[in-house]
Parts: sequence; C-alpha cells; structure tokens
Amino acid sequence: LSNIEGSEMPPSTDLLQGTLDLLILQTLALGPMHGWGVAQRIQQVSNEVLQIGQGSLYPALHRLEYKGWIQADWGNSENNRRAKFYSLTVTGRQQLEAELDTWERLSSAIGLVLSRVPEASA
Amino acid sequence: MIKDMISEWLTRLRFLVKRPKPADLDDELKFHVEQATAANAAAGMAPEEARRRALVEFGGVERAREQCHEQRPGWWLGTVAQDVHYALRGFRRNPVFTITVLATLALGIGATTAVFSVVDRILFRSLPYAHDNRLVSVGLVQSLERQEFMLGGFYYEWQDNQRPFTSMTFEHGTYECSITQANPVYLQCADVAQNFLPTLGVSPELGRNFTPEEDLPNGPKVAMISDGLWLSRYNRDPGVLNKTIMIDDHAVRIIGVLPRDFEMPRLQETDIVRPAAFDIAAQHTVNSGIGWPIWAFARLKPGVSIQEARSEMEPLFLHTQQWIPAQFRNEFKLQVRSIRDRQMQDAYTVAWILLGAVFAVLLIACANVASLFSARGAARERELAVRSALGASRGRLIRQTLTEAFLLAATGAAAGCVLAEILLRIFIAIAPTGVPFLANARLDVRIVLFAVLISLLCAALFGIMPALEKPRATALVGRQTKSGAHARLRRVLVAAQIGISVVLLSGASLLVKSFWNLEQQNLGMQTRDVLTLHIPLNWERYPSGQAYMNFYLRVEAALRRLPGIAAVGMTNSLPPDANSWHGGRRLADIFIGGKPSTPPGTGGTVVARMVTPDYFRVLQIPIVQGRGFTEEERSSSSDFIILSKLLAAQLFPQGDAIGQHIQFANYNPYFVLDGPVFTIVGVAADVKNAGLAAQDEPEYYELRSNHHPESWDQHHIFLLESTLPVSVVTPWIRSQIAQLDPTAPAEIGVLSQDVHKLADRPRFETALLGFFALCGLAMAVIGLYGVIAFVAAQRTQEIGVRMALGATRLDILRLIAGEGVRLIVLGGVVGLAAALATVQLLKSLLFNVGPYDPAIYAAVAVLLALVALTATLIPARTAMKVEPVEALRYE
Repeated sequence: LSNIEGSEMPPSTDLLQGTLDLLILQTLALGPMHGWGVAQRIQQVSNEVLQIGQGSLYPALHRLEYKGWIQADWGNSENNRRAKFYSLTVTGRQQLEAELDTWERLSSAIGLVLSRVPEASA
Repeated sequence: MIKDMISEWLTRLRFLVKRPKPADLDDELKFHVEQATAANAAAGMAPEEARRRALVEFGGVERAREQCHEQRPGWWLGTVAQDVHYALRGFRRNPVFTITVLATLALGIGATTAVFSVVDRILFRSLPYAHDNRLVSVGLVQSLERQEFMLGGFYYEWQDNQRPFTSMTFEHGTYECSITQANPVYLQCADVAQNFLPTLGVSPELGRNFTPEEDLPNGPKVAMISDGLWLSRYNRDPGVLNKTIMIDDHAVRIIGVLPRDFEMPRLQETDIVRPAAFDIAAQHTVNSGIGWPIWAFARLKPGVSIQEARSEMEPLFLHTQQWIPAQFRNEFKLQVRSIRDRQMQDAYTVAWILLGAVFAVLLIACANVASLFSARGAARERELAVRSALGASRGRLIRQTLTEAFLLAATGAAAGCVLAEILLRIFIAIAPTGVPFLANARLDVRIVLFAVLISLLCAALFGIMPALEKPRATALVGRQTKSGAHARLRRVLVAAQIGISVVLLSGASLLVKSFWNLEQQNLGMQTRDVLTLHIPLNWERYPSGQAYMNFYLRVEAALRRLPGIAAVGMTNSLPPDANSWHGGRRLADIFIGGKPSTPPGTGGTVVARMVTPDYFRVLQIPIVQGRGFTEEERSSSSDFIILSKLLAAQLFPQGDAIGQHIQFANYNPYFVLDGPVFTIVGVAADVKNAGLAAQDEPEYYELRSNHHPESWDQHHIFLLESTLPVSVVTPWIRSQIAQLDPTAPAEIGVLSQDVHKLADRPRFETALLGFFALCGLAMAVIGLYGVIAFVAAQRTQEIGVRMALGATRLDILRLIAGEGVRLIVLGGVVGLAAALATVQLLKSLLFNVGPYDPAIYAAVAVLLALVALTATLIPARTAMKVEPVEALRYE
C-alpha cells in the first residue's frame, strides 16, 4: 500500500474478457468481501501488476450478481460503515471450478505454443 | 446442468422484475471513494489531498454508474421503451405525417389482403383431389352448349382408345332424390362411373369404393354418402356401413362415406353418390343413338401437357364425329381443359384484374410510405446530426428509426387487418352469386404477413437511409444541404404513383362507362311493374303434361279475377338472362314449306319460347308486322308462331314472312319432318335475349296451345301486369294458389329486380376497380402534396432571398408549382402509355365501349390534372405567402 502512486505506473495489462470475472470469483472464494476489498486484494496478490479500474470492477460485480454467481448483502465494514458485501453462491462456486479448469488448459496450451514451461501450472 | 441454467434464468428474471435501488449503487460507489480516501490518508496525505486523489483515481462516477446499469438484464428493453417513447412524441409532433402513413398502410394492407383472400380461392385454391393439376375435363362443345359435355355413345370409344390419360372417368349429372323411409329428406344424388373416385384421387373417409360388379346394370344397389349426410343423419356413427336405406323407394346399401372436403368436379351439391351402372351397348341406341349426355374427366399421364392431350384426342374425336348427324356435325368441337378452368370460367379474368389492381394499390402505398419516410428523414438530418454530436451511436440512431418504422407498420397493419375484414364482408355482401367460393372467403394470415412485411421493408429501407449516412457536421449548421439523390428518388416515386393511378383510373372509368351502357340500354321490353310467378310443382302429384296444363289454366283464370291485375301472360322462359333455362333450336332445323330454310351446315341457334297472347302485352313487345296471337287461337287445332325481327330478316329477306308455314326437324334417331306445321302470324320487335351484354339472338314464339297438353311441363312462368304495389298483390296471389293446391309453393318476383340482378357481376367488378382507382388516386395525391409541401418548406429560405432580390409572389408560385406540374405531366404521360398498353386485358369485360375510348382517357387526364394541381397549389400558395423577413430569419 506504500506506493499508491498508481497513476505513475506503466498501464496495467489489459485483462482478457472473462478473466476479470475469474479473478473476482477466485478472490471471493476466500470469503465475503466488498468491492474495495476485492480490488485491493487482487492488486496485492498480483504484486501490484493487476490494477482493477473501478470502471470495470463494479460493472463486473453487478454482472456476476445478475447472473446469480455471487450474491450481495449489506453489512458493516471493518470501520463500521455500511458496505455491500459480495459472496460466492453455490452456482458461483461451481462456475469458478469450471472456469479454473478452462483457464489452466488454456494457459498451458498457450505456454506450449510459446515453448516455455508454464509457471502457472507448477 | 439444466438445473443451473434454470436457476440462472430465475435469477435474471428476478432482477428483471425487481429494479435495484439507484441509491444503493450510489452508496456502494461512495463507500469505495471513502475507503480510497482513508487509504490515502493512512499513507500520509492531507485529508483534502487524500480525497482529491481518490476521486481522480476513481474516474467518471457517472460513467461507472451507467455501466453498472447496463449490466442489468432487460436494460436493452429499457432503451427500446425509450425509443418507443421518443417515436411516439415525434408522431404527436407531426400528426399529418403519422396519419398519412397510417392511412396509406392501412389502405394498402387492407385492400391487398381482402382482395387476395378472395382471389386466392379462385386462382390458387388447390382442388381436393390428389395431384389436381393433372386432372382435365374432356368433352365436346357446340353452339347450344359451350361447357364441354360427353356422350355415352362416344365415351367408351374414347376411353378404350385414348393414349394421353392414365384413366378416364365420367359422372352422369346430379338429380333430386329422396330418402323414402322414416324422416324423409330431399337430397341430391349423383351417378358416377366405377373408377370416378380413383381417377380423381379421392379415397373414402370410411368404407370402400364401388366394385366393378356394382357398376353393372342390375348389379347390387349400393351408395356412398357425403360427410354432411353422415353427420346430420347418422351423427358420424361408423356403424352406418352396410346399412340399407330407401332411396326413391329402392333399397340401397351404404358402402362408404366421402371425405369431408369432397366436391364434384362441376361443383354440384351432392349428398349421395351411386354407380351409374350403364348398359354400354345401349349407349349406341338411346337418345338418337348418341347415348346419354355425361361429363368426362381424365388424369393426364406424367409429362403430357393439356395441349398434347388435346392433339392426341383429335383423331378419336374426328372418328366419332362421323356418328353425329351431318346437319350439325361441324358444329361440334373437341375441348380439353383443366378442371380448375372449367370451374372458374370467366371468374379468372376478373380475379387476375382485381389482383393486378390491388397490387397496383399496394405499390402506390409502398411508394407513398417510402417517399414520406424519405422526406421525413431528410428533414431530420439536422436532428440526427445533433443527436450524433451528443453521443448517440450509429447503431442507436438506426434502431431509433427502425423502431419508428416498426411502430407505424404494426399500427398500420392492425388497422389494415380491421379494414380487410370489413372490406371482405362488403365484397361478400355485394358479390354476385356466380363467383365460386366467394361466400366462404376468409382473411388469409399469410397474405396479411406478406403485405405487412412489404410495407415494413419499404418504411425501413427508406427510413434507415438518412441514418446510415454519417450525419455531416454541416447539417448542424442547418444550411440547406439536401442530398440530391434522395430528392430525385422521391420525385421518381411520386411520378410513379401518379402513373400507376392513371392506369387504375383508366381501367375503372372504362368499366364505369361500360356498366352505365349496360344499365341504360334498351331491353326491348317493359320490366317495370311486371311480376313473375313461378310454381314448382311436385312431379309425383302432377304426373302428366295434361295435369300441369289443367293446373296452370286454373291458376291463370284465378289470377285474371284478381283486382289490380291488368293482364296475365304465360311463358316457359324469360329474357334477358341467357343462362336461365330456355328452349333453343338450330337455325338449320327450320324448314319453310317443307324445304330447308338455310343451306346445310349453316351454324347458328335460335331462341325458342312458348307463350300466350298476353306475353306481348305485359312485356310491351311491339308487333312490327302482321298481328299478335289471339285468345281464340289458343284453343284452335292449328299451330301459330311469331318470329322476332332478326329471325324474320334471316329467313325471309324479302319481308314476306306473314302467312308462311314452317316446321322443325326432328331426330328420332334419324331425321324426320313430322312435327306440327306453324303458320306465321306476326313479326315481333327484338328483345335482349342472350344476356345483358351479348348480341341479340334470333327468336321465335310458339303459341302455347291447349291441344298439345304433352308440351306443358314444370318450365312455366306467369307474367302479371299489376296496377297495385307488389306487397298488396302478393298475399292475394298466394291465397288464390293455395285454394287450388295448398302444397304448391309460389315464387313471386319482380322482373325489374331480376334484370337488375343480372348486372350484379359487372356492378361488382366496377365497384371494386373503382374503389381501388380512387384509393390509388388519393394516395398518389397525398404523396404529391407531401413532396411539394416538403420542397416548399425546404426552400423557405431561398424563397426569402429571391423575394428580397425582387421576385414577385407569382414567380414564387411558379417556382414551387412548376415542380409539381413537371411530376404530374411525367407521371400522367407514362401512366397513359401504360394504361393503353394494358387495357386490352379488360376487353372481355367491356360492353359497348372500346378499350381505347378517347373520351375516357381525356376524362382521366382532366380529373388527374385537376386533383393533382390542387394538391400542388395548396403548398405552393403557402410558399407564396412567405414573408421575406421571416424567411431570412428562419435559421
């Protein structure tokens, strides 16, 4: 959180359509979280490489909610503010597993094409 | 998996119904910004700076909010609703455009659908036979019978030796029959060949077809019943098979039920079908050796055309022609045509003409909608540019235009369907009885869809065009930058509309004039205040000519005693209807003083009537030479005859007809001259006796005499000259007849109404085509008005400049009206040329008016010029009144 000067960083890698959904689902698999938390978590875990713009985060969260993969409940945040917490539904969990499978197959296939040992599968 | 899909759909559905609260989203986004601010502050920023940073990082709050909204299922529906609202607002702002488009669409769709629903049954209906297009009607025609028929004596020769058909069959006509047991009922029976149903490709709904044994003379008596009879009498009980019923006192076994959609090829009503059981050998002896008249049908072999079949049958026809007596052998011709042609007769021509007219109307409607949309599109170029500049995507603009087109088309179509239903009912109500299948015409959904689709395409195509072009920045400025191509297209469309409506108008005017001639012509007889009385007697109660004669003479005497009846004439048939029953002779059969009146082989037929002296008095047919019949001659033992002027001129060119003796040839089976000798006592003026539109035919009147009781039969009509109203006399007549025979039904008619009814068909045709022509003209004029008004509005500024530079108001009028006049002249000339080229089609429907009647075309041109000029001058006058100052400030 120390170097928040994100604007000075090189533009973050454009995420593939659908990858953002996967990241959100994976993050929420750890437990209920609000939008801000999801963004921070992804940023942290990816060592600040993946910065989720609010412009895509919230539409994605809403889209997943409308699909019924995640559900939202209003609760109190750690600093006692009213916040919207998202959590995985049963369908969402199944979806996550299916998408993880797909992703692993896809990334190892891409790795093979690029003739490099895919680190992700290790 | 399916469970997942269902639950996902349910979730979506829940969100579709339940709108998320906008405040929730705001709270959520606000929370995010607060968290970011807090994080920034924790990193050591000043509170102010921390918040500013957070907001900058967040970016457009509004954009994020909108994107979240767009995720919602049904968001798309919301934009459609927006488009619809927008379109409706636009329509309200521009009611003339809206109403014009709606009226045009409704008229186009309504008229097309209604007419197509009518002609579809006539032109394209599939007959209820397997492979109905391979079925033909085969037979002979001659001058006394123009609908092909067959003779039993020829049929078997043809059937055994023909090559073009897989099979040939016949029916022996229908006749009245009755079930004579409990619940007696009058029915129509038809006698058919054993292979009749198989040849037509009809299989019984229940039971089986006739066997060859059942078709032999004195074979087992069997019958098939119609589906209608099966329902009404047996309530569809399958146990009806092998039941025995009494038909005309004969026990007949039911062996089958005909399919529900079964119909005889000549469309006669039929309740019971029985084997004809012909004695083939006898066909060469009965009816003068030529056999009974029958009607033959055949199924073409695959690959054989009707023309080929005809030429292949020709040698057989020529062979059997030798059996026809030499006097009229050459009058017979071979006829092979499809069953459909035989059924439809001249309804074909009318149907095609109506179809053509209605497509012309649809074309005009489409052109009208297209030019209206195009004009509107051009006028909205600026609006589109503004919306585009404000961020509306191209797709959104096109969708908006499509929404408008679709809304109009849908509303227009709905109105069109209502109109079609109304029109169809009117058609059926005013239609003459002669048009087959008209009475059960129904709205055709396919054609409604077709018409709607066409109109939608027109509207969409021309509506989208302006939206497809990227709105130019210059359009924002509002300078007049009209795309010339669209303007030219609109002018072409308007000129085309005028042209098409000229074609319609010319056709309609010709029919109106023809109909006028038909109604106004001199029939040669008086029909006003003449009552007709027909008494169909039951032949079982009146078994002989003598019985008929006695009854009719008593009725005549009773009628003469009635007050208000000035004269009572009797006849066995009535002019002018050529299709109602009447007697006829060949001209060649008339002998004068024992010698043939004309060289052998001369064609031509003569109408024959048997009348009493008062016939001429009631109908006021003048005797132009000699005298009429007298009452005394009725009971004299001699025979008297009156010729029509036409016949007298043919038989006695010297004018010496009176007092001559004539006789008629008989054939039983060979020619003899043994009939009564008639003395010619007079020559009567000609009357219309071959239908309203046809040429008069020569005619003679035999005196209905009391010493030939065998000549009296059910063909008997009383003609009453009444000085009192029909409603007064009718009950008196009925009570007189009831006193003589309470079971005798009396059919009383008014002759002038019967004659009026003969004109039903031309009236129908004229009314329909006239209606379409007026529709077409109205739409073309609306289109013209629209385009001129549009051009005038577009040029308001130019007009201002011109007037500021010194143009007079008259110059402006000329400028704007000139545009319209050019279109009128162009459309009018092209239309007249097209009318002259196509009007030939109407020829068979016209009476006493040529297809190139110059007065008609002059009238059409004048009418068009007047109406179209008015449509041009109204907007042109508005343009003329433009105040230059106003116009220049128009920006």
